Amino acid sequence: MKYRIKTFLTTNEMIVVYIIIGLAVLIGLVNPAFNSISTVVNLSRTMLVTLIFAMCEMMVIVSGGIDVSFPAIACLAMIATGNIMLKNQIDNIPVAFIMGALIGASLGALNAILIAIIKMPPLIATLGVSSMTSGATLAIFGAKIITNLPGKLDKLYKVSLYTYTNAEGITYSLTILILIPIFICLLGWLLLKFTMFGRGIYAVGGDIRAARIAGFNVKGILFFVYIFSGTMAGIAGVTYMILMRAADPSVLMGSEMMVIAAVVMGGTRITGGHGTVIGTILGVTLIALVKNNLIMLGVPAHYQTFVVGLIMIIGTSITSLKAKHIANSIKV
Amino acid sequence: MQKITNIIKKTDRIALALLVCSVIITVLMGVTHPKFLGKSNLQGMLIQIPEYGILAFGMMIAMIAGGIDLSLVGIANLSGIVAAVVMLNLGGNDFSIVTAILAALSVGCVCGLFNGWIIGYLEIPAMLVTLCGLQLYTGIALIITKGPAITGLPESFSNIANGTIAGIPIGALVFVFITLILCYLLYSTVYGKCVYLMGTNMVASRFSGINNLKITMLTYAISGVFGSLAGILMVSHYNSAKSDYGSSYTLLTLLIAVLGGVNPNGGRGKVQGVVMSIILLQLVSSSFNILRVNAFVKTFAWGLILLLIMTATYLIERRQSRD
Repeated sequence: MKYRIKTFLTTNEMIVVYIIIGLAVLIGLVNPAFNSISTVVNLSRTMLVTLIFAMCEMMVIVSGGIDVSFPAIACLAMIATGNIMLKNQIDNIPVAFIMGALIGASLGALNAILIAIIKMPPLIATLGVSSMTSGATLAIFGAKIITNLPGKLDKLYKVSLYTYTNAEGITYSLTILILIPIFICLLGWLLLKFTMFGRGIYAVGGDIRAARIAGFNVKGILFFVYIFSGTMAGIAGVTYMILMRAADPSVLMGSEMMVIAAVVMGGTRITGGHGTVIGTILGVTLIALVKNNLIMLGVPAHYQTFVVGLIMIIGTSITSLKAKHIANSIKV
Repeated sequence: MQKITNIIKKTDRIALALLVCSVIITVLMGVTHPKFLGKSNLQGMLIQIPEYGILAFGMMIAMIAGGIDLSLVGIANLSGIVAAVVMLNLGGNDFSIVTAILAALSVGCVCGLFNGWIIGYLEIPAMLVTLCGLQLYTGIALIITKGPAITGLPESFSNIANGTIAGIPIGALVFVFITLILCYLLYSTVYGKCVYLMGTNMVASRFSGINNLKITMLTYAISGVFGSLAGILMVSHYNSAKSDYGSSYTLLTLLIAVLGGVNPNGGRGKVQGVVMSIILLQLVSSSFNILRVNAFVKTFAWGLILLLIMTATYLIERRQSRD
């Protein structure tokens, strides 16, 4: 029992929890304005899209690959959906999401074909797809930002689950869109934890040959993972469009580093085979906390990139040192 | 005749294919758009080639060693900024320029050694380390500049990239010099043999008495130095230093290396192939400019070419293994 508690307290997830608590206490001490409900509301707003990205990236990394094409896919889904809906006078929320998901799924399928059948290294394949997609997006739709979204999509922005008004009369509202990442996290958790298919993803990431010999349909699993990732990226793009009330063809580009950082911080091993949904949520929380609140600590905004890089290096080093430690202890 | 077929057989097949493509593009463009072979276009190409060509060499050497170096652009910008700061603080005379270049090269070397140490000692995948490195070095660069570009660099410094000797840009001469050094390093030294062996099989190289950590650190240090050289050329070309120059070069250098026949899994790759792919891509890029194709189409084309080449290589290899 004592051993169990000890292992629980030193898991990757708990280390991230300690860091989050430490950081929150530190920021709260330096700047009392941090200690309010508005922080939570703002944090969940920042996390919303990142969390969807992180969930699909986590699944891809667990299967032993990596996906850097999701920002480009999300941008294409966002701007294409916006344009098509405006041109054809479609004003329907489910149609928007389905359209985004279909665009994402088709590009995800392209990734899957390149990686599972042509056996390209995942990084190179997804980099190529990313470059193609973002180039095509800008060439077809131009660099123009759409701000006049269809009425119903625009209204969805104002629907909120919970509103909070502080003493100065500023209202903070938790948008209903937060249900999307929550639903995706639940789905991912159920899939990875309780289905044979989910265990297959871990098996493929751990050792692709062993997984094949054990009878897993390796190609099917890889196809599912990349198509799932693409679909979620498409949905994330549409969500972002509603959240920001605008469709910008290049706004999400460059966010892939941040998402990979969040996933790795959450204890997912970049070599595949390890990773949990809870850890990913915690990793995203940590990165969002750093991103939102460094200014409250008195750190200038231009230090942000460096601090995130530093956190990434330290986080990966801790994970790798732990893995090394475990590998050594088995031999003794 | 026998001799010619022998020479053709001996040269790298990939380099040959790239050469044929380059010749076709040059002839086609030269006939339809005579401006393509004009002096200003040729000089423009020779100024642009060294910037990402040297970065591509850095990527190539890391890929031969079985890794990848995504932090090259970060290193290039950081060392360019360090050079600019040193130059401005020392007054901008010739002495300060030499000091600035040395400072930039040592920054590249230190960044590379740091990458190599983490990859070799902590055994974290190179891709992740250099991705973090990119973030880290760009972050440091951002801290130094606080965002805006550093300008007001001395006139003589901008001559390094923009000046010419007998009509040939100095940057192109630097590029030729670097190519020769790289050939010497890879083909005529013990280090070169070790890199190829380590890239082919890490375990085998350890058992044959090669210090993998040392070779890894050396490889990334060389890659870092190449990165800082490209950074110096970039700063000299634009006559200003900023933390986000050349952010599209990461994909481009990867594309060049893969196109030039460097195996992403390590152990294979030749300088001649990479040089040919650098030239080919510059020709394609220049023709796009002359044909006034939208710049976004170029991004699309890079991605498409990368995927097509990888697919073609896979199909050829599969057919060969069947035979």
